[in-house]
Amino acid sequence: MAKTGLAAVEAALRARKLDSTLTTARPVLETTAAQSAVERLDRCLEGGVPRGQLSEIVGPRSSGRTTLLLQLLAAATRRDEIAAVVDTFDCLDVASAASAGVELDRLMWIRGHSSPASLVDRSIERALKALNLVLQAGGFGMVAIDFADAPLVALNRIPFTTWLRIQRTIEGSDTACILVGPRPLARSAGGVTLSLTGCPQWHGVGDRNRRLAGLELAVRVISPRRTGGEVTISAISFES
Amino acid sequence: MFGALRSLDGPAADALLDVAADFSPRFELHAPDEVVVDLAGLERLFGTPHAIGEELCRAAAARQLRLRIAIAGTYTAARVLARAESPEEVVVVEPGAEPIALASLSLTLLGHIAHENDPPPLSIEISPAKPRRGLATDREEQQRATADLLATLRRWGIRTLGALAALPVDGVAVRLGVRGISWQRLARGEDPRPLRLEVPKERFEQALDLEWPIDGLEPLSFVLGRLLEPLTAHLERRGRGAAVLHLRLHLVTRTIHERSLQLPAPMRDVRTFRTLLLLDLESHPPSDAIDRVVVAVDPTPARIVQFSLLTRPIPSPEQLSTLTARLAALMGEDRCGSPVVVNSWQPGVFAMKPFSPGSGIRDRGSGRAPDAQCPCVALRRFRIPVPARVRMEHDKPQHVTIDRAAAHLGSRIPDPRSPIPDPRSHLGGCVQACAGPWRTSGHWWCDRALTRVNNVRHDARRALQAAESQSHREPTSSLSLCVSVARTRCEEWDRDEWDVTLNDGATYRIFRERATHAWFVDGSYD
Repeated sequence: MAKTGLAAVEAALRARKLDSTLTTARPVLETTAAQSAVERLDRCLEGGVPRGQLSEIVGPRSSGRTTLLLQLLAAATRRDEIAAVVDTFDCLDVASAASAGVELDRLMWIRGHSSPASLVDRSIERALKALNLVLQAGGFGMVAIDFADAPLVALNRIPFTTWLRIQRTIEGSDTACILVGPRPLARSAGGVTLSLTGCPQWHGVGDRNRRLAGLELAVRVISPRRTGGEVTISAISFES
Repeated sequence: MFGALRSLDGPAADALLDVAADFSPRFELHAPDEVVVDLAGLERLFGTPHAIGEELCRAAAARQLRLRIAIAGTYTAARVLARAESPEEVVVVEPGAEPIALASLSLTLLGHIAHENDPPPLSIEISPAKPRRGLATDREEQQRATADLLATLRRWGIRTLGALAALPVDGVAVRLGVRGISWQRLARGEDPRPLRLEVPKERFEQALDLEWPIDGLEPLSFVLGRLLEPLTAHLERRGRGAAVLHLRLHLVTRTIHERSLQLPAPMRDVRTFRTLLLLDLESHPPSDAIDRVVVAVDPTPARIVQFSLLTRPIPSPEQLSTLTARLAALMGEDRCGSPVVVNSWQPGVFAMKPFSPGSGIRDRGSGRAPDAQCPCVALRRFRIPVPARVRMEHDKPQHVTIDRAAAHLGSRIPDPRSPIPDPRSHLGGCVQACAGPWRTSGHWWCDRALTRVNNVRHDARRALQAAESQSHREPTSSLSLCVSVARTRCEEWDRDEWDVTLNDGATYRIFRERATHAWFVDGSYD
């Protein structure tokens, strides 16, 4: 009886072309991947971040979310792709992006407003609209939206259908969409979630020669359709 | 049959061209005071050549222009006759009778028209040592050669055009060369070349007078579509694209609302034009209802693109400009583009430029090596630094807290009335590890007066933002522009920076302004 019910639900989802949300009933899609140029991470991701899917980079502050995002953007722009970042709260540091190797000419930077807390909802709404416009325009190899500094209360208010709509927009395209946030939001079945934890690395012992050498990033790959894994990456400080 | 129209009132090229264009599409402007019109076929309209000449005189008189008109079978004969002294206003020579009509005229008349038909020198010496001569020098040399030839002919006793025409061709060629033969042909009234027709400047413009004034963008979009379709068809027929799109809206208040859009690449797509114009009008709407709509473009040669199988396709300029316009309408005028690194040590300084991935030479040397396996730690910068309180012990920061009392500075302080807690309100804690200080300063060499002005502006901006956060209003785009511009201005800075890891596990960059001893959180390493 349960199997019949499950089959009926799956059939109904397929009829409405919503079968991409099924995690078990469909094999892994034959999608190309956007490599990160970090060999260990690409191996763990089975090639890279899947294109035509919504993936996530999540973690607490200083876990290396922006570092990994810039690494992915740098790899994309080096492949002659164009990329876009919807910077919801205008936090991108241009010098960091240049140091990460992002070809800035090929990066579209959509800057939100560093708005007061009372207007966070509106900033998020605008950022989602901007993301939708960029995805519908097409032609971008990688599009990222940055919610890393958004309050969880505001993020929880975003309807889940938003992520479903974004997924449907990029389905079948060559665009890898990446969502950066404090915790998983979209939980796309086709995409991957990179859960990060970071540990700062200090160099030197004395007061005068001590400096921040980098971050040790532990990346846990979570995906319902892929074999997950964990990989550790060392990120160096660009001043070192 | 040709008519030469010569102004007796001096140079009047525009008026002459207007008169000529009224009678025939085939005309050539030879001098600012002389135009030649092809009158073939006008007999059926006006009658005899005399009647045509009189009509030409009437048309010129209507434009307050006095003309001497000569009509002949060749335009050379007509030009010479128009320059000759004559009591009549209109001189007509039947076709075939030009040599006879010209025979008695003075040879000097030829000097005025001959130099433009003179052949170029047979041998051209190109020497790298000799710089190329200017046009003025060439003209002076031609005038000197004409004067020499006239003097030679005078010495031979040749005074009239008929005498020159009667000379044996071989003898003229041997003694005077190609120039002499050319002069002899002109003296017989023969045309050295066909007319070089003046092509009127094509205007790419469409206008529509509305029966009823329209108010609002939706009805205007239909009008724009109706105007843009023939305009783009015209551009396509001529192989042109639009470089600049102009929109003139004549309002019921008898004022004109004018907008011009600079396009990133030559284009002629109706939907793109309409979308760009409507998005622009959304942000710059007309003040009243619209009476008349005029759309015009500045034409430029069309874009010819050779697509490659080896490179990734990128969105077309039409798509990108539409996307950029939509994003600008949504986020603000200066909020979308490509970031540019500024050659400065000023923290957080950057510039923006329009996003155009296909243009320019790609600079692969600015970033790190492509095969780098270690990512670079990124800083998430608080565009407006967050004021903080830092407890120091043994010259090292021990505890960091957000300075709520510094709300009057207008920084991004958590709003207690807001239902959404700001994540940055939780920023702070005991310092687990730190490194620093690193002193950085700059632009202290700038003009102090300018710095003071900038500081005043900065204070005004902060006050404005504080007022906005108090009144729960949305920040305006102009404010964001000021803040972003302020970062690129010549502002003096002098600060001690620290990297600190707090007990929440996050690592921040904090700094102390040396002038005010105030602490700020600049950003977090992420």
